[in-house]
Amino acid sequence: MIKEKPIVEQYKIADIDVTMKTYYQRTYNQAKKYHVKNPSWKPEDTDVRLSFGHEYYEMKKNTTLKGSTFEDIEYICTGSLFNRFLLKYNGCMLHSSAVVVDGHAYLFSANSGTGKSTHTNLWIKHFGEKAFILNDDKPALRKVNGCWYAYGTPWSGKTDLNSNKKVKLGAIVFLERSDNNWIEPISVKEAIPRFFRQTVRKLDFEETMDAVLENMEKVITEVPIYKMGCNISDDAVVTAYEKIRRV
Amino acid sequence: MKIKEGYILREVAESYVVVPIGEATLDFNGMMTLNGTGAFLFERMIKGTTKEKLMQDLITIYKIDKETAKTDVVDFIKKVKEADLFE
Repeated sequence: MIKEKPIVEQYKIADIDVTMKTYYQRTYNQAKKYHVKNPSWKPEDTDVRLSFGHEYYEMKKNTTLKGSTFEDIEYICTGSLFNRFLLKYNGCMLHSSAVVVDGHAYLFSANSGTGKSTHTNLWIKHFGEKAFILNDDKPALRKVNGCWYAYGTPWSGKTDLNSNKKVKLGAIVFLERSDNNWIEPISVKEAIPRFFRQTVRKLDFEETMDAVLENMEKVITEVPIYKMGCNISDDAVVTAYEKIRRV
Repeated sequence: MKIKEGYILREVAESYVVVPIGEATLDFNGMMTLNGTGAFLFERMIKGTTKEKLMQDLITIYKIDKETAKTDVVDFIKKVKEADLFE
């Protein structure tokens, strides 16, 4: 349903001050956890402004996002723009499902449909209260004070699973389906194309691409990276956890 | 022999990569990884060059023999052609 007037609010997402305008419920509701009622900053001082005119959504509906509802278009556009801004904050997005155990976020990354959420869901089943999903689709990664962190954001995909938390980044695992469960570390060189495939990469400007590659280079050289083949079983969780746990 | 508009060569953690920007992302949806020799040749292809010039550059800089240079250049041209990156 089209709102008559869009709502403009202040948010804190991945420790970044954000002004965001929303016409539709989906993004507005998903961003509620990140809403700051009386911000200490002035709205005009935020560097990150996610503010599209409805004409932009209409243009998208006629071009690259045919078949999507306006609600979904707004969700995609706001998330996409946030991920570009993230590059200016020593960060990047990784298309992955992030599960947290023992104060560390473990990111399982793969193309859509491979089974990232299925796998992290098994972690929840295995660890119960001791685990939670930080972001089920596109966690934000940021290097803060020399350490890599993963954050929940409003943009967490179909399942809408996300927590407004900042968690130490424990490991990144590139997932594929397999009959049996195995996991092994991969070299930085092997990680490059895999990581690149799952981050922001359809860009118009060289400077933006340079920022992506720069942030990517830091993550893959400073955080343990693995590849894993897994099936749908508790053993898959145990196999992964025993190898990648930081605690 | 020249590379299409919109492909850039960068170094990432001691590897070399070729990625598209702008309109080129419509044609090429990923990344090509290259070794040192590949990067050397690709750089020259971005500016525009010939097979013979590439061979000569390899021989001059890397001090290799003509046969090796020819193989390297021919193989690399094939790789770039297969990725459809030539104008």
